Amino acid sequence: MIGQSRLLTELANLVKRTRADGVSACAQAGSQQVLRFAHEAIHQDVAQDTVMVTVKVILDGRVGVASVDTLEGARLRQCAQAALDIAAHAPPQEPVPPLPARHRLRWRADYVAATARAGPAECVRAVQQLVRLCRGAGAQLAGSLMVGERELAVANSAGTACHAASTVCGAKLVTMYRKLSGYASGVHRDFARLNLEELLARSLRQSLHRRDPVAVPLGAHAVILEPEAVAELLEWLGYIGFGAKSVEERTSFLAGRVGERLLHADITILDDGTDPKSLRMPFDYEGTPKRRVVLIDRGTALGPVYDAVYGMKFGHPSTGHALPADEPEGPLPLHLAIAPGRAPASELVRRCERGLWIPRFHYVNGLLNPREAVMTGLTREGCFLIEDGKLTAPVATLRFTQSILEALRHVRGVSKERRLVGDPSIDAGCKLVPTLSLGAFTFTGRSAA
Amino acid sequence: MPERSLPRALVAQIIRQLKRRGVDYADVRYEQLAHEQLIAEHGRIASISRTHTQGLGIRVLRKGSWGFASTPHLRPPHVARAIGRAVELARAVALLNTAPRPLAPVKPVKARFRSRWQIDPFTVPLAQKVDYLLWANTASLGPDAIKRATAHMDFHKRWALFGSTEGAQIEQTFIESGAGLELAAQKGDEVQTRSYPNSHHGALAQAGFEYVKQLDLVGGAARAQQEVLQLLSAKPPKAGEATLILDPTQVVMQLHESCGHPTELDRALGHELSYAGGSFLTPEHLGRLRYGSRHVTIVADATIPGGVGTFGFDDEGVPGTRVELVREGLFVGYLSSRETAAQLGQPASGGAMRAQGWEVPPLVRMTNVNLEPGAGTLEELCRGVKRGYLLSTNKSWSIDDQRLNFQFTTELGWEIINGALGALVKNPLYTGITPDFWGRCTAVGRREDWRLWGIANCAKGEPMQLMHVGHGAPYARFDGVFVGPAT
Repeated sequence: MIGQSRLLTELANLVKRTRADGVSACAQAGSQQVLRFAHEAIHQDVAQDTVMVTVKVILDGRVGVASVDTLEGARLRQCAQAALDIAAHAPPQEPVPPLPARHRLRWRADYVAATARAGPAECVRAVQQLVRLCRGAGAQLAGSLMVGERELAVANSAGTACHAASTVCGAKLVTMYRKLSGYASGVHRDFARLNLEELLARSLRQSLHRRDPVAVPLGAHAVILEPEAVAELLEWLGYIGFGAKSVEERTSFLAGRVGERLLHADITILDDGTDPKSLRMPFDYEGTPKRRVVLIDRGTALGPVYDAVYGMKFGHPSTGHALPADEPEGPLPLHLAIAPGRAPASELVRRCERGLWIPRFHYVNGLLNPREAVMTGLTREGCFLIEDGKLTAPVATLRFTQSILEALRHVRGVSKERRLVGDPSIDAGCKLVPTLSLGAFTFTGRSAA
Repeated sequence: MPERSLPRALVAQIIRQLKRRGVDYADVRYEQLAHEQLIAEHGRIASISRTHTQGLGIRVLRKGSWGFASTPHLRPPHVARAIGRAVELARAVALLNTAPRPLAPVKPVKARFRSRWQIDPFTVPLAQKVDYLLWANTASLGPDAIKRATAHMDFHKRWALFGSTEGAQIEQTFIESGAGLELAAQKGDEVQTRSYPNSHHGALAQAGFEYVKQLDLVGGAARAQQEVLQLLSAKPPKAGEATLILDPTQVVMQLHESCGHPTELDRALGHELSYAGGSFLTPEHLGRLRYGSRHVTIVADATIPGGVGTFGFDDEGVPGTRVELVREGLFVGYLSSRETAAQLGQPASGGAMRAQGWEVPPLVRMTNVNLEPGAGTLEELCRGVKRGYLLSTNKSWSIDDQRLNFQFTTELGWEIINGALGALVKNPLYTGITPDFWGRCTAVGRREDWRLWGIANCAKGEPMQLMHVGHGAPYARFDGVFVGPAT
C-alpha cells in the first residue's frame, strides 16, 4: 500500500504547483493477485501493482483532463502540464461547477490487514482445498480467486483532501457434473470470511443432479431470481436509467416519469455507498461524500444520481456519484441495492406452483429499448424447473427478452435475505440484492447443440 | 515520447536475472500507451483527456506453472519486487499444478515493426481536432427532436518492447485513430438512435489522422440526422422468418460474437468457464463440423494493413499470421497461443496472444477476424428476395455461454420487397443458432463493398481486459431467419 500520507502529500503538492483557477487530482492505487483455474490446475495468475492519477484543471471556464500512472514528480508535472495545455486550447464549456470544498475524509474501516497480507501460497492452498472437495463430490471445478487492496485519494484547490483504503477479495466457482453445471460467487472485505466452502456447496447443489436438462416451452413463466440474476438486471438499470445524463438525454426510463408508479410497491431501489454491508466507498472521484439516494420508492420513480456537473445542470447538489474525470458516462450509481422483503428465500420457492429458478443470467444487454428497460439475456448454470414448490429438473439454456419495468410490476415476493454481489477485480461497485419472485418473465429462445 | 528512450537495457537485464532464477521460460514486456479522447456534446466540448501509462509485465514459466507480475514503476526496488512476485506466484501455483505445460516452438527473432500511418495524430494541433469535431457535432444539431448529439475522436499510440529467455528482442510501434457521431431523437415515449459511420466507436483503424479526415463526419451527420428523424415515424418489422441481408457494420458483430469468440482455443479448452463461458467449437469438431454454407470463409488475419488486430508479432513473440478459421463452411482452425497450440498437438501457435497493456498477461484474442468476400452488389443480393430486410449498424448484442443462441438488434433496417429496397424499419431484431444461421448464408457480397472496422471494447479475462480487435466484411445474405420487432 502506498499509504494516506504519501498519496495525499503528492496530490496536494501537485494541486499547489499547478497554476489554474481550479485543480482537482484523483489517485487510484492498488495491488491484487488473481488466480484462474480449470481442470485441476491454475492456468493463469496475475500479481499487479497499479496507480493512476487523473488531474482536472479549470482555466477561464475551460477544462482539461490528463492521467498518468505514476507518483513520480516529473511525470506528475508533465501530466498537469498536459491538462493545462488541453484547457488552454479547449473552447469554454457550459458553466463549470465549483470543486467540492473542504471535504476531509480519512477512511480505513474496510481495510483488513490479514487480507492485504494474503500471499500466493495461501491463495493457492485455498484453491487446492476446493479442488479436493470438488473431486470428492465427483465434480469438476473451474473458477477464479482474487485478493487485493485499494486506495482512493482526492485533493483539490478548494481544500478537499480525502483518502480511503480498503481490501477486497472474491471468488467465482463453476462446478460441472455430467451435463450440468452450477455457479456461485462471493465477495468480501475479509479473506477469512469469504467462506469458499459455502460457495462451493452452493454451486455443487446446482450441478449434482442425475437428470439431464429438460426443455421448457417458450413464453411467459413465473421466475424466482436469485441475487446474482437480480444483480445483473440491476446493473443494467443503473447504467441505462439511474444516472442524470441519461435523464437529460431522455433515454432513461425515469425521464419525465418522476413521481409516477413505475414498479410494484414491494420494490424499493436505492444506491448507498455508505452502507457497511456493501463494498462502501465514502466519497466519489470528485471528493464529494457519498449520499444514500432512493431511486425507486415503493414502486414510485425518484432519483437519479448526480455529480457536480449534472447537479449544476439540474439545480441539485451532487449526490457523490461522479466517475473519474476522464469517463464520459456522467454520474452512475455504483452501490445499488434493493430493499429486503419479509419472506425467507426458501419460502418464495415453496409458494411457487410452477416456474423457473434462475441463479444467474448470462450476457444481458439492456440497449434494446432503454426507455422501457427492454433487455435480453440467457440463463446459464443451475436453472431449474419449479413444480409444486420444489426444484424438480434442470432446464436447458433459455433466452429472455423482457421489459424489466414490466417484470418488476408483477412481484410476488421479495426475500428478507440479501446477498452482496460484485466483481472484486473491478475498481468499485457492487449490488446488495434479495431473491425476487416474479409472476411473469418472457422467454423467447433456447440454445441447441 | 521518443522511441529512443525505451528501456532496452532494463528489459535485457530483467531477462538475465530471470535466467539466473532458474525459470524454464520467461518473457518481459515493456509498454508505453498514450490515449487522447475528445468528446463534443450538443455543440460544445464535453471532455478532452489524455492518458499516458508505462510499465513492465513479467511472465515466467517454471515446472508447469505460470507466474505473472506487473508494475508501473521502473526503479530497481519495484522491478525487483515484480520479478520476485512473478517467480513466487509460479512457485506457489506449483503446489497445485503437476503436469508440464509445453509451449509450441517459435523462432526467437530480433525485429522491429511499425504500423502504417501518414499523420501522427499526436502531432496534430489540438485546436484543429477541436474545430473539426465541433463542426461535425454542430452539423448534427437543429431539429428539436434531436435530444442528444455527440461526436468523438480517439487516438492511441503504443510502444512495445518484448524480450524472452529464448532470445527474442522485438520492438513495435502502433498508432490507431477513430471518430464517430451518435444522435438520439425523441417523440413522446419513442427514442431512436443513429450512429455514423458505425456504432460503439467502431470506426477505429490502425492509421493516423488521415483516417479521421476520410470519414467525412460532416457529411455523415446530415444523413444520420435525416435517418434518426425518419425512424421516429417508421414501423417495426413484422415478426416471422424472412430473408436477411446484413450490411458490413452488422456482419462485423455477427463475426465477433459467433465466430471470433468461439474459435479462441483457450475458451474451447475450458479456460474461460468462470467468466465468459465455453465454446461449441470444441477440439473434436476441428476439421469435421460444418459451421456454415459453402459461401462462408472466415479468416483471422493479423497481417492486413489498417486493422486494429494487425501486428508484426503477438505478445509472446510469434509473427503475425493469417489463419483460416472456416473454409467454405467447414470449421478448420483456431485462434491460439504457444501453450494452447501445444495442448492440441499443433506444430505452431496461431499467433493470437495479446494483452490489453503491460499490466496484464496476454490471452488468446481475436486479431482481425474477417468474412472473405464473394461476388455481387447489394442490388444483386436483393434480387429475387420476395420478402426480407436489410439491417445496418448494431444496437444490442447477446449470445449464450457456448456461443450458439444469439440475438442482435440494429439501429435501423429497410424492407426488401420483390428484390427492391423499401421502407425504413425501426427496432429490428434477429435471432438464431450459430451454425444453423451461417448454414443459411446464400450469398456473400463483393470485395468492393468489403470494409474493415474496429471493436474497441472486446472484454475477456480476469482482471478484465478490453482489447481492440478488427473485423472486415462485405454484405451477406441469409435465408429463413427469424426477424421481429425488439419491443
